[in-house]
Amino acid sequence: MRSERLRLLLRDLTAGAAFAAMAISGQVPLWTMAVFVVALVLALAGRRPLSDGRLSAVLLLLAVVAVYAAVLLDELDLVVAACITASLLTAQRLLSRPTGRTTDQLQLVSLLMIAGGAVLSADLLFALCLVVYAVLAVLTQGLWVVAEVPGGALPPTGRVLRPLGVGVMLSLGGALALFLLFPRLSWNVGARRAGASLGGATTGFADGLRLGGTGLLKSNPRVVFRARIDPDPGTDQLDAYWVGRRFDAFDGVQWSTAGTRGGPSRQVVLGPIDANLVRQEIDLLPAYGSRTLVALDAPIRFGDAESHQTTFSIRTEIYSSGDREVRLVGPSEHVTYRAFSAMERGRVLSESPAERARRLQLPKALDPRIPALAEALAEGAVGDRAIARQIERALQSRYSYTLELPGRVKDPLADFLFDRRAGHCEDFATALVVLLRTRQIPARVVVGFHGGERAAGEYLVRAGDAHAWVEAEVDGYVLRLDATPPQHRSAAGIGLAGWLLARWEALQIRWLDRVVEYSLSDQSRLVQRVRWSLRETPESAPPTARRPDEGVAVALAVLSAAFLVAVLIGRRAATNDPAELGRRLFRLLRRRGRLGPKGWLDGARVGEAELGPVREGIARYREARFGRQPLLPGEGRRLLRQARRALQGPDAPSARGPRRPTSRA
Amino acid sequence: MSARRERLLQAWRRFCRPPRRLRTTPAGRTYLVLTIGVGLGALNTGNNLLYLVLGLQLSLVLASGILSERCVRRVQIRRLLPASPRARAPFHLGWALRLPRGQAFALSVREVHPVLGSAVGHLAWLPSGEEMMVRAVATAPRRGPVQLHAVRISTRFPFGLFEKSRDVEVPGELLVLPGRMPARAESPSPTSGIGLEQRSLRGRDGGGDLAQLRELREGEDARRIHWRKSAQLGTLLRVERDAQPQPRIVLQLDDRAPPEALDLTCEELAARAELLLARGAEVGLESAGGVSVKPGTGAFHTQAILRALARAGHPRKAG
Repeated sequence: MRSERLRLLLRDLTAGAAFAAMAISGQVPLWTMAVFVVALVLALAGRRPLSDGRLSAVLLLLAVVAVYAAVLLDELDLVVAACITASLLTAQRLLSRPTGRTTDQLQLVSLLMIAGGAVLSADLLFALCLVVYAVLAVLTQGLWVVAEVPGGALPPTGRVLRPLGVGVMLSLGGALALFLLFPRLSWNVGARRAGASLGGATTGFADGLRLGGTGLLKSNPRVVFRARIDPDPGTDQLDAYWVGRRFDAFDGVQWSTAGTRGGPSRQVVLGPIDANLVRQEIDLLPAYGSRTLVALDAPIRFGDAESHQTTFSIRTEIYSSGDREVRLVGPSEHVTYRAFSAMERGRVLSESPAERARRLQLPKALDPRIPALAEALAEGAVGDRAIARQIERALQSRYSYTLELPGRVKDPLADFLFDRRAGHCEDFATALVVLLRTRQIPARVVVGFHGGERAAGEYLVRAGDAHAWVEAEVDGYVLRLDATPPQHRSAAGIGLAGWLLARWEALQIRWLDRVVEYSLSDQSRLVQRVRWSLRETPESAPPTARRPDEGVAVALAVLSAAFLVAVLIGRRAATNDPAELGRRLFRLLRRRGRLGPKGWLDGARVGEAELGPVREGIARYREARFGRQPLLPGEGRRLLRQARRALQGPDAPSARGPRRPTSRA
Repeated sequence: MSARRERLLQAWRRFCRPPRRLRTTPAGRTYLVLTIGVGLGALNTGNNLLYLVLGLQLSLVLASGILSERCVRRVQIRRLLPASPRARAPFHLGWALRLPRGQAFALSVREVHPVLGSAVGHLAWLPSGEEMMVRAVATAPRRGPVQLHAVRISTRFPFGLFEKSRDVEVPGELLVLPGRMPARAESPSPTSGIGLEQRSLRGRDGGGDLAQLRELREGEDARRIHWRKSAQLGTLLRVERDAQPQPRIVLQLDDRAPPEALDLTCEELAARAELLLARGAEVGLESAGGVSVKPGTGAFHTQAILRALARAGHPRKAG
């Protein structure tokens, strides 16, 4: 009974892993997830109410018809519909009476769900689900096959699990080797972009910045972009600002921006290019979800943007919009581009009165307490720069940071400054800008990201790193001010969770680079690397550095050896086959020129006394093949060995005879 | 086609002919269809994760081949034949399986024979070094010697997608005795007859009551000595008994008849012989084809007659 429970548990968990591989894409509807989870929980609890499958089959059929009707009405994607069908079928099978047949069906439908997950998702979690599925599927099938043998005493489960463990290793190793070696020749007629995975795109730069939100984004750990910086800062935690959008018009509740839109171009230059620039190669991941490009403060040039589809990459154009914002022309889920930023902040570029007036504009219904507060906070400071720094420090020290806000209020700025005295980065930045403007210092809000964690030589920036700060124009220069307390500027992940998250992200990057975007050119590079590593002498290779392609070479060597062994075993096993004995005798005699006149064993010239073993071999071949007197175990090999030994002596009488004329006269 | 090409082609055919038989199960067929589907999907979309799934599916096939090979490769088989199987009656075919090392799972065993091959024995687990018995119920439709040359051992382990089989050469012969039928008193068919050679034995060496004791003469059978009386009197004394009148019957068989008629005749004669032997008669058998069993009695003699009838009409085994 225990082994049966274990089999059922493994079987149900296999289906669960397959479903999870699909569900992490975030494209499976919630009702499907609910149906499957309920079915799985019931099955795990041993409740299988659908022993008579007719009613459930009818219901299933109706549901499938409804799903495909939604496809016809263009309400549902075909792949998602197929995944829903597989999920419903699996749920129905889970709740049916468990037999060998239902187990087979469950395994096959689970395989369909895994394939569906591969189409819908590109997340590292898919790999995890795939590995769990492979392990559980191998164990489940092995145990069921043994349990299905009629009328026999079942072996202890541990005994079966041992060879199945070998099967798991072979399957996973083989999958990796085949993945690496299978030629990437694609017809590219049905390419489908991978989605942004469970949770969807998260950054979402809006056209306006509205105060009073809840700030949940701050605790979101998903990586939205990664950047390789040259020169490399070398620090594990980057203390840098990534500029996205600037806002200069505030109506008391919402920020907006104005400006002219530039034409589409391969590159956008925002300032004078000098030699002292920081180069960034930025990879916006599907979770990014915005067309606004980001770069380290202060960005000077954007260009070389490429949109990556599943099987190809295309150059894409960008344009400048609003106040020094750079955006993609079209939507894309995965974009790479280069950006250059100035290390020192330069002079203010736009000096037009209209722009300056916009950066000094105050809301019409400004709370009268705010100018008084600004005056009080700036008391004693001389000069715009000193006033700005003093107000910034005052906000940092006198107001606290919180993500728990009450929602919409009539005057969120006054609520922050005088009632709650707590808020998040947008509140701090808005307050600082308004307070500066009351002191006639032009200022604007900048939104983007702050920070970056180092992983695999790159910096990862998460959705939780989203931040807002201030740019003020002081003495003809742009001064960056950040009133948010320093410890709350980046994402909240710290401690063990943060460390684990960083490792996970590093794995995710490797997954994207080496699996999801593995291509034909990667394959050719891999083959070349293997060739070079094979040519290298052992002395030239570093003794400890083990390159990843060595593992591939080892895997290839193991596979080749296994194939060779299988062939040899097969050939050895074949020698007791009478037909094989005949073929080998035929080859021996042909080599010695002793075949009969018709080119076969009949009439073979083996009349000499010392060729008795050959005659015996031929006679036994005939008996075994046509006389129903089969060869004894090992007899075929013995006969062949004796015949070979006997034929080592004399050559055929005619083998070295006069050659036949090759042409006619 | 040139000779070289022909040779190459033959070599390729030989290479392709596997030493194992592989049969796809219904689940395996669906699995292969799914694999092809995923492969086409991967080629069609260039989705690397589909290539990964395809790699897993193909490697599962590979792992299935390797693990099933480990199950069937080293199995040693000994055939356990029934002593006196009768035609059209179920009998047990048995095999003793042994694996010197490793272990095998989900084995099924059958004879490589068009008729007896339908009897399949199953074994869930064959541990290392132990000999396990597997039995299957078989039925032979006709009497006669059945030449068995190989036993097929198969497994669906590990995934149930394929059934891999290996034929193990185990030569042997199963002699199927004529089927049972009710015996009749008279000779039922023209191809058989009952010889009327009957006589009572008058000699005093029969199986009757004790008649007398006399001195043992030279050359007489020492088994007839009455040892107790001989010891008492100090000379070897021989027992003489009254002989019983034993009917001696020689059954005549025409083994040149067509096979079906001959089978029927053999079954009739077998039934008749068993009846007569059970009644205490000495029964023999003769045929035009050279079959000859001298009259006799007892269980071994019954078997001898039945075996002779089973072989009637079949060529003698060489050697």
